[in-house]
Amino acid sequence: MSTERTVRFSLNGRAVKAHVASHESLVQVLRDRFDLFGSRESCGQGLCGCCTVIVDGKPVSGCLYLASFLDGTSVQTIEGLAPADDRLDPVQEAFIEAGAFQCGFCTPGFILMTKHLLAENRAPSDDDIRHYLTGNLCRCSAYPEIVAAVKLAATKQRGG
Amino acid sequence: MRPFDLVEPATLEEAFHLLEGDDPAVRPIGGGTALMLMMKEQVFRPVRLVSLRHLAPQFGAISIDADHRMIRFGATTSFSELEHSAVVARHLPVVVRTMRTLANVRVRNVATLGGNLAHADPHLDLPPVWIALGAQIVIENPAGPRIVPAEDIFEGYYETNLRHDDIIREIRVPLNASQRASYVKITTRSAHDWPALGIAVRLEMKDGLAHHPRIVLSAATNKPTRLVRTEALAHGQPITPASLRELGEAAVSEADIASDSRGSADYKKHLLRVHLGRALHALALEE
Amino acid sequence: MASQTLTTPAMPAGQVGRSIPRLEAAAKVTGRAEYVHNMSLPGMLHGKIFRSVIPHGKIKHLDLDAARAVEGVFLVAAIDDIRKVIAHPYYGPAFHDQPILADGKVRYAGEPVAVVLADEAHIAEEAAGLISAEYEELPGVYDEVEAHGAQVFVHDELKPAATFPDLAHLLGRRDTNVALDFQLRRGDADAAFAAAEHVFEHHFRTQPTMHTPLEPFVSIADASGGSLTLHTASQNPSFVRIEIARLLGWPENRVRVKVPYLGGGFGGKLYIKLEALVTALSLIARRPVKISLTMQEQFFMVMRHAATIRIKSGVDKSGRITARSCEVWWNGGAYADIGPRVTQKAGFTAAGPYDIDNVELNSYAVYTNRTPAGALRGFGAPQTCWAYETHTDMIAAKLGIDQLAFRRMNLLHDGRPQATGTILRDAAIDKVLDRVAERMNWGTPLERGTGRIRRGRGIAIGFKGITAPTTSVAMINLYADGSCGLYIGTVDMGQGSDTCMAQIAAEVLNLDAESIKVIHPDTDVTPYDMGTLGSRSTFHMGTAVRLAALDANQKIAALAEELGVPPNSNLPFSELLRRKYRMQAGNIIGIGSFIPGYDKPDQETGQSANVTPFWGVGGSGAEVEIDIETGEFKVTKLVNVADVGAAINPKLLAAQLSGAAIMQLGFTTSENMLYRDGQLTNGSFADYKIPCLLDMPAVFINEFVESRQHDGPFGAKGAGESTTIAVSPAIGNAIADAIGVRLMDLPLTAEAIHGAILAAGIGGDDEH
Ligand SMILES: Cc1cc2nc3c(=O)[nH]c(=O)nc-3n(C[C@H](O)[C@H](O)[C@H](O)COP(=O)(O)OP(=O)(O)OC[C@H]3O[C@@H](n4cnc5c(N)ncnc54)[C@H](O)[C@@H]3O)c2cc1C
Ligand code: FES
Ligand code: FES
Repeated sequence: MSTERTVRFSLNGRAVKAHVASHESLVQVLRDRFDLFGSRESCGQGLCGCCTVIVDGKPVSGCLYLASFLDGTSVQTIEGLAPADDRLDPVQEAFIEAGAFQCGFCTPGFILMTKHLLAENRAPSDDDIRHYLTGNLCRCSAYPEIVAAVKLAATKQRGG
Repeated sequence: MRPFDLVEPATLEEAFHLLEGDDPAVRPIGGGTALMLMMKEQVFRPVRLVSLRHLAPQFGAISIDADHRMIRFGATTSFSELEHSAVVARHLPVVVRTMRTLANVRVRNVATLGGNLAHADPHLDLPPVWIALGAQIVIENPAGPRIVPAEDIFEGYYETNLRHDDIIREIRVPLNASQRASYVKITTRSAHDWPALGIAVRLEMKDGLAHHPRIVLSAATNKPTRLVRTEALAHGQPITPASLRELGEAAVSEADIASDSRGSADYKKHLLRVHLGRALHALALEE
Repeated sequence: MASQTLTTPAMPAGQVGRSIPRLEAAAKVTGRAEYVHNMSLPGMLHGKIFRSVIPHGKIKHLDLDAARAVEGVFLVAAIDDIRKVIAHPYYGPAFHDQPILADGKVRYAGEPVAVVLADEAHIAEEAAGLISAEYEELPGVYDEVEAHGAQVFVHDELKPAATFPDLAHLLGRRDTNVALDFQLRRGDADAAFAAAEHVFEHHFRTQPTMHTPLEPFVSIADASGGSLTLHTASQNPSFVRIEIARLLGWPENRVRVKVPYLGGGFGGKLYIKLEALVTALSLIARRPVKISLTMQEQFFMVMRHAATIRIKSGVDKSGRITARSCEVWWNGGAYADIGPRVTQKAGFTAAGPYDIDNVELNSYAVYTNRTPAGALRGFGAPQTCWAYETHTDMIAAKLGIDQLAFRRMNLLHDGRPQATGTILRDAAIDKVLDRVAERMNWGTPLERGTGRIRRGRGIAIGFKGITAPTTSVAMINLYADGSCGLYIGTVDMGQGSDTCMAQIAAEVLNLDAESIKVIHPDTDVTPYDMGTLGSRSTFHMGTAVRLAALDANQKIAALAEELGVPPNSNLPFSELLRRKYRMQAGNIIGIGSFIPGYDKPDQETGQSANVTPFWGVGGSGAEVEIDIETGEFKVTKLVNVADVGAAINPKLLAAQLSGAAIMQLGFTTSENMLYRDGQLTNGSFADYKIPCLLDMPAVFINEFVESRQHDGPFGAKGAGESTTIAVSPAIGNAIADAIGVRLMDLPLTAEAIHGAILAAGIGGDDEH
């Protein structure tokens, strides 16, 4: 029986290992083993994006992803995005400048998704942004500001 | 959720071995997006999950036959691989278009084509498209492989005729340069809702007449369903306001539609009538 | 302590009116902001709730053995266990009617019946799944109008909390589902109806909806050594302390309530939610206990009242409304929560922002066998506004008067009495309406279309009173190095209160807002605040903060005088402290406390000389596009305008206005808690659809008008709810404008529109 296993993976650039039970999700393991709270469970159904984590360069819902599958992957969370303690990623800066959040519970998810959107598409249109981010919900409804933040981030990343 | 046995075989034989027996709590797992939801709701309590991840080298490719007559999709292909495939975009644009409103980026990165078929939730967007395109499903079994038309897999609400030890290996879609196809996802509550109706249509136009149409309805019915009488009626017909009205009525009388929280039966029938007509009309005009 | 006389502020330091980013912005974008969700304590147990599956019944038998037998389970508790630590385990802000766990009877499907505690959450969940209960089912009542006269009673007798004298007459009342009936009588409505040229009567309904904050309810209790600490996602820590102390029979100082950031609240996280339960469990277990609900479970906690509203107006020849009568039934669910206050507060504005001499209002809080209903962003105002603004539009259409002109003709202006008799002051109703009209280009004809796609536009305006009388206390601590801490009980749940309060303090103290540290609610440290609710914080706490800062300034001046420093020396207070204490030591503490004036409405007539500290005003305009073959529609333009007094932080304010409007857009077009036989059938995000990015109107404008609340801090008043008020009727009116048929019930769905089109015959036009 393999109801538990040790997974080795890279977490925000650091090699780590964790002993996980088969039923544990990625978001639980980040919280319980690594004290990383930035991806957090809300809807629990893959619909809101609060639990977004980047696995092997792709965003996934941490609430629906078995931690056992982490072995050999490279994982990035919001905590690993800023280049230094006193410096933020341009996407994070853009979210602050555009005022793209209120309670902040959904914010790490939106930022990680935006990071990935901009990696795929350097200059997304409004429509591209709306479609790419429909799977992220913000109950404070900071949507207009979020769209503005994504565009601002795109400009910043292009060095504009 | 409680702990269970999670195994990741590297060969098909091993996988069959691990699936042996008839315990419904032993199942394959693809991306796990559908299973995780059921496990969290405690409607499914696994004893063992057999991950197909490590079969990806044999099961995870998209390829096109040399003569360009068929595309093959490995069952562990993720939706996002499909979405970003240049081959699919060129030969089956309807599939790529369907991806745009299917679930969300995160789910598409993880969910697999095999899991999507086997899940058999009637609201899924891709099964009606496969059926409309005449897809064939390659299924592996310890007793030997078999190939069945996509529509033959579905039995009812979350029900397939897949056997306990069946593993979906591949989806094959015949190509036909003169076919046109579309999928319409009709939501009634919010843009990011499950569809109230899914309508997939494919046909060829010859001299202004529809040929070999396939019309598939999902979400409003308990499984994705070909409207064969409507198809027969449409075959050889011109697409005119009068014929569209007739086809709309035929579809409504043929489809078995029940009321649910996305709409009453009457309203959904009406949506079928209108949107099927619009879809056919748009296809007829397509270049 | 500073006096309550509100003097004109000293020279502004330019802090108020600046659009600075939130103080906690960096913490939020790096995922490091603190929420209760993140917290765990050594030895903490996790609780999982076992809930009733039937809407109404007596508990015959509860089988907890199988759950107790699960390895890793620490404790399984039902109401009898709770009683061992809390003798009378009933709570509530207005009525002490809600048991901590079901007590012999369940009153709604989803009600907590038992709890499992275990070291690991998944074990608690597994074990809770093994609990079973047998019930003797009772008939249920679900509809608010039916429940009003029904012979099935949700509660045997009413149990108003002793703290509210105006509820005292309800004590012990039996055989009724009506928890509170509010009535208002002004002028002589009967006579005015008899004399009216036209009389119109319509009936409206609104649906139950839920707050769904993305951080679901979560609380941790840590009881040890005769005291208790609660870490809880609550909008009112002071209330939690008082109510928990009451339940325990302890003095307040043995109960400590701490609240970090909230992942949204919207009125849901008010009063007691999980706090009493985790308190009792921690006392029993003698270990810290955490309960975190799932999104699905949130739907069993609290919801917005569904309402049925009957409204009737008499209009004279000239088009003036001379009489209006309204009857409102609020579906309060199984426990009163704050429903009786919603009934009263939304009751007295139910006739709308119009100048009507003869008004008759009845508003009933009705118990039903559903999830308890409480406050949700607007305190009932969006429900009544749906009715009165649809009704108003219908009257204008029938009389053939332009919708805007008809409203202008009847609008309530400053200096005139509102239905309660309170003279309207600082309510920019006219300005808001003008601005909506302007942004809608009301004077320019709209191309409505004649084919399959029809267009229409609509406007609506509404207002609300504010919970009164309520108190806020603030404390400012100036440290000896020149830095400053602001101690307030206001909870920052996303609205930006930390930032605005720091701006107010900074303005008075002549500091940079960014340099002020806001100390989060901790009832051992921060002074009393009634709660972060009902748009009250900017006005109440903002005033208290301003007074605290003024008090600190006075103390600085007094210290300077004591030290013989000339009045205009401009020595910083850090230097004064250094001179006094001869080293970096000491504090200057400023205190401010604020309770606005209030005159309790008369029990019979609802009349009051001062019924609200201020008026919240919101207007909306909408354009829609409708596919008349299917009823499918899009809100293509949405304009929202609010009167918020002056803006402390315009950018944060704009975000509040837009966020509130989008939330109400969800409550207008898609959100709806669906019940079948008392069972909620769509309690998850898979089936309960909140707005996403694709639901945004293409043109979306949010503005506030220039105005000033004379007694608000720097002219400000609350703003968190104003743009929820009029969104629904603006959209409904636009739909009617496009297709000539009316929907009377929320939500506005494509199917309902299609049904109305069919019923009227396509293109049918009974109004234009
Ligand atoms: C948030 C969210 C939104 C969604 N929205 C949409 C949407 O809009 N449209 C839509 O169409 N779908 C949607 N889905 C559903 C999604 O398409 C399915 O969850 C997904 O396709 C299932 O694939 P999977 O690989 O994750 O399956 P799994 O969860 O791994 O498995 C599902 C089932 O298939 C079986 N199975 C898996 N692989 C095989 C195989 N190779 N052979 C035999 N049996 C197998 C499993 O035993 C299980 O019974 C959504 C899902 C989520 C979570
Ligand atoms: S919590 Fe995972 S997507 Fe909502
Ligand atoms: S900022 Fe609160 S949910 Fe998005």
